[in-house]
Amino acid sequence: MEYLLHIAVMVCLYSILATSFNLLIGFAGLFALSQAAFYGLGAYTTAILLVDVGLPFPLPLIASAVVGAGVGTLLALPALRIVGDYLVVVTLAFQIILVEVAMNWTGLTGGTDGISGVPNYQVFGLSLDSPTSFLPVALLVAALCFWIAWRLATSPFGRSLRAMRENESAAVSVGKNVVAMKLVVFAFSAGLAAVAGSLFARYFNYVGADSFLIEETIYILAMVILGGAGNLVGSVLGAAILVILPELLKFIALPVDIADKSRLVLYGLVMVAILIYRPQGLLGERKTQARTRASSGPGGGEAAAVPLRASAGAAARGRTIEGRGLAKQFGGIVAISSLDIRLEPGTITGLIGPNGAGKTTAFNLLTGFLKPTGGEVLLDGSSTGALKPYELARAGVARSFQDLRLFTKMTVLENVLVALPGQVGDSVFSVYFRPAAVRRDEAANVRRAREVLAFVGLEEQLHETAENLSYAEEKLLVVARLLATGADVLLFDEPLSGLDGATLQEIFPVMRRLAESGKTVCIIEHNLDVIKELCSVVYYLDEGHAMAVGRPEELMADPELAERYFR
Amino acid sequence: MDLFLQLFFNGLTNGSYYALLGVGFGLIFATTKIVHFAYGPIFACAAYAAWWAASLGVPLPLAGVFAVAVAAVLGVASFLVIYRPIQVRGAPGLVALIASLGLFILLENLLGIVFGAGNKVIENVNYDVFFLGPVFFTSIHLWQIASLAILGGALFLFLRYTRFGKAIVAMTDNREMAEIIGIDTTRMAIAVFAIGSALSAVPAVLILLKDGATTHMGFQAVFMAFVTVVVGGIGSIRGAVVGGFALGLVQSLGLWKIPTEWQSSIAFVVLFLILVARPQGLFGASRL
Repeated sequence: MEYLLHIAVMVCLYSILATSFNLLIGFAGLFALSQAAFYGLGAYTTAILLVDVGLPFPLPLIASAVVGAGVGTLLALPALRIVGDYLVVVTLAFQIILVEVAMNWTGLTGGTDGISGVPNYQVFGLSLDSPTSFLPVALLVAALCFWIAWRLATSPFGRSLRAMRENESAAVSVGKNVVAMKLVVFAFSAGLAAVAGSLFARYFNYVGADSFLIEETIYILAMVILGGAGNLVGSVLGAAILVILPELLKFIALPVDIADKSRLVLYGLVMVAILIYRPQGLLGERKTQARTRASSGPGGGEAAAVPLRASAGAAARGRTIEGRGLAKQFGGIVAISSLDIRLEPGTITGLIGPNGAGKTTAFNLLTGFLKPTGGEVLLDGSSTGALKPYELARAGVARSFQDLRLFTKMTVLENVLVALPGQVGDSVFSVYFRPAAVRRDEAANVRRAREVLAFVGLEEQLHETAENLSYAEEKLLVVARLLATGADVLLFDEPLSGLDGATLQEIFPVMRRLAESGKTVCIIEHNLDVIKELCSVVYYLDEGHAMAVGRPEELMADPELAERYFR
Repeated sequence: MDLFLQLFFNGLTNGSYYALLGVGFGLIFATTKIVHFAYGPIFACAAYAAWWAASLGVPLPLAGVFAVAVAAVLGVASFLVIYRPIQVRGAPGLVALIASLGLFILLENLLGIVFGAGNKVIENVNYDVFFLGPVFFTSIHLWQIASLAILGGALFLFLRYTRFGKAIVAMTDNREMAEIIGIDTTRMAIAVFAIGSALSAVPAVLILLKDGATTHMGFQAVFMAFVTVVVGGIGSIRGAVVGGFALGLVQSLGLWKIPTEWQSSIAFVVLFLILVARPQGLFGASRL
């Protein structure tokens, strides 16, 4: 019986570790393989504070969480410049360094002897020194940690995390501060893992570095992958299976000396097999529709004209964005040289020119995704040079991407929801301490998102995953997401290419109404019929600067330009 | 000064070892974009294969050939059985990396089950001992340096001057374009897994002769290979050589001032600092 309860305690510990790891991997898409290091950090913090300092409950537990979160943030600060495979390696290196420190800093950590004699929890004079008495505490803490992770993951903040995971630059383009988000999620993940470590120290009364090796990180990773990245319940399930399975294997008579190794071989096999045959894990990512469905109501119909006002907050403010003498060089290659461009409210400006003329680079400069090597960008007369792309998006300058960059694993509704500005639930503080305000705001946002989707004609596909849309629908969703930002300056990078005539006839009025409502619209486009139909001003870009500016018919009548491009 | 010279020489031999590991690992990484962590345990398998063959009385050179063959077969098998199915499904690159970690655990512990724990050494290895002034070294040290010069040079010539090698370089540059001009990228991937893994068997055998083999030896090997590649820049033999020597020298000369127990941390701290300062590696990607 004691033995079964011991296994239950271990499932609790690993549930905390796996769910917190999943926040990082499954939700934020950050493959930082140092979870066991934070686990150990928490264990050592508690052990040292109890044994050497003698702090009373609950200070060591809190200190563990704080130290874990703090070191997690410190690691994240430099590490976040690094992406993908490199992040994996740099965090593996961190994991190894931390273990080496624990092994070698004998004065603080006891070196290879570790720290023993960590006192048990005392409740009403009762010492929690057995699995039976410890289990309630473990369950309680695990439940609390799960709630914290769950709350974060299912909040609008969690939605923004997933958007960042799907496409970081697109998340930036809808005004998400991805650096801050990464720091927060690192802090939460590391802090929760450290709480598990604190429990470890209390339960085993001993802390040694060999419990927190890189292998441990990989087991926790296996739990997350087995259960399903992006699914917190899956992580608990994964933890339970991978803790219990080896215990069951003990019933198979194996020579003692290879029992452990067989268990590990099994781990490896399970991991590889899952990744080959069911890469999404046992449960797969949860479609978060329950809450958004509940608030469904009449969406389409008369709403068509509403969202422009709704999504722009007050009526469009009529903003002018201007590039003066813009220049951009990549190494020796000049992409843009002395480009002057001015986009006025209430007009649709076209940007045309051959491939490589610098059209997309111009967008990148105007929206702050690239910093110009010369000249400056002015929004209503003041320089935007100091603004980061996400700040510029929040200030009302938003852009789409030629290659769409939808959040493909998220639903149509979520794609639009995530782009809505000023969400209460994007603040982690509000997520935990102002749940009612978050709920109200979310309900309002769902209404707005549905309006925007009705406006572009996607209300039928609300709960469809973006990757399942047709090409035309994807393009519409790009427009919807851009509208949802509520920006006054809208830069469309080839929004219409590849669409058939009928769909174009549906989109033209949408674009015109945007301009009529006072928005500043600019489109990059190759199709001259579209340009003639929509634009009142056209910039002809070639070799990095504006060769000609004027009304579409003027430019097309110019014999030199006709020779260069319009033939 | 004597200590410095000895440490410097140790750095060179270790550097050659790291560089050769990095060349094999980097070839696989640059061409297939797979972070092949199981490179480590396959390296260990090669060492064990050589030990096993030698313990049966097979002459050492033949045992080395056997090790090379085992590594190549395991490398190709890991690609065909694990990585390729994952890539065919269009899964993101990190999935292959995690699968590779799974394979890592699997192989390392299988080795432990089959051969048991403990250090495996080949008895009665004859090697010469040299003294050059204050510097002490053995013929194995020389072999470490020579193997890098020979194999690294051969690989360089192969990639630069043969049709097959050029196709591999083309794939490293741009996989899609390579496919468009008719290069069979699957065949190339099989080839680089075979070549890269075979290359790792040589330092594996030399380490077996020098220090013996343990089941854990793979982790250090693949990590050093990775650090080497990151320091030197991906997709470049020259970079791997520079990276390997830089790493070997830093690690070895570090002992001059830093207590021994921290030696293995040095590489990781270096890696950490380099990646933080220069996320694309010291030299970035250059050709060959």
